[in-house]
Amino acid sequence: MISDPQSPDVVYIGIGELRVSSTPLASIGLGSCIGLVLHDITLQRGGLAHIMLPDSSGRTDRPGKYADTAISALLEELSSNRKKNGEIVAKMVGGASMFSQFSESISIGRKNIERTRQILIEFSIPLCGEDVGGKTGRTMFYYPANGGRIIIKRGDGTIGEI
Amino acid sequence: MDLTDQQMDALRELGNIGAAHAATTLSTMLNTTIDMNIPDISVIDLSHVHEHISDEIAAMVLFKIDGELSKGGYLLLHVPVKSAIGLVNAMLGMEDLTRPMDEMDESALLEIGNIMVSAFLDGTAGLLNVIMIPSPPGLVIDMPHAALQGIIAMQLEGNDNEVVLFRTELKSSDYSLESDLILLPDRLLLEELIQKLEQVLTLHQ
Repeated sequence: MISDPQSPDVVYIGIGELRVSSTPLASIGLGSCIGLVLHDITLQRGGLAHIMLPDSSGRTDRPGKYADTAISALLEELSSNRKKNGEIVAKMVGGASMFSQFSESISIGRKNIERTRQILIEFSIPLCGEDVGGKTGRTMFYYPANGGRIIIKRGDGTIGEI
Repeated sequence: MDLTDQQMDALRELGNIGAAHAATTLSTMLNTTIDMNIPDISVIDLSHVHEHISDEIAAMVLFKIDGELSKGGYLLLHVPVKSAIGLVNAMLGMEDLTRPMDEMDESALLEIGNIMVSAFLDGTAGLLNVIMIPSPPGLVIDMPHAALQGIIAMQLEGNDNEVVLFRTELKSSDYSLESDLILLPDRLLLEELIQKLEQVLTLHQ
């Protein structure tokens, strides 16, 4: 488990979960999964979904698990406490292909990225930052009250920010 | 997924036999004693996988399980980076534990993985009287949680939200070596394993 000295109160979002907050959220070890953030710039809060698969095919039990249901569920959560959302932007992290030797595992990350992009376009949500694809895992920390900054620690030892 | 105590015991015994075979080959390769714990079997909800598998960078050698049983199972040799360097050093007679990993480490780890996983599958297949063989291996040096996601995603397409992890620790105090062998059966393979085990147990009663 990662301990982040800046935010001892960070909440970790597991595979298939989602949460809206104004305090830090994180997902560890994103491989083929996507960490999708919908950030409300005006209200300085937002949500993180840990998406595993591109399509729900009508399943509704875990909205955070699929790209199509995660985006509408995040929007619903974002608007449930307030009358009106501010300006919402999206950022996404993950969608890597970890084991190039196993052909079936290559395509899941790519499909997750494509489907997420497509649905963001359908909802007219601008994608204002991403760190996706490649072959390396990523752990992400999202700071809603800090301009929606996302810090990314990658499996190759590098660190990024979007 | 609900497993009875008896089924858990049988699966633990299967893991025990496989891991014991793998430990013996490792012990022969390194010419030292390998300590092994009793296999831990956990049925974990998807959202809790990160509490069991970290993002601390490790070397992992992954095999798909081929042979006569259902094809949705994987075996993973997980070695934290420091242990991986120690393991390769021990194999090749080197001492520097602070060196970076290179291609030589990767081929050595693939080979060690191959030998250990083949032994594991020989042991379990022998008990069940079926053929189980490992696919060619894949190696990554990365975050274990990230590495397992693609596999879990493939196994859980559909309504399933539970992951079955079969984990055995193999350790050597001589080389401060820590490693885990992790078996990830999908639901079909798990059911087949249980069924085969029950047949074997009935025959012996």
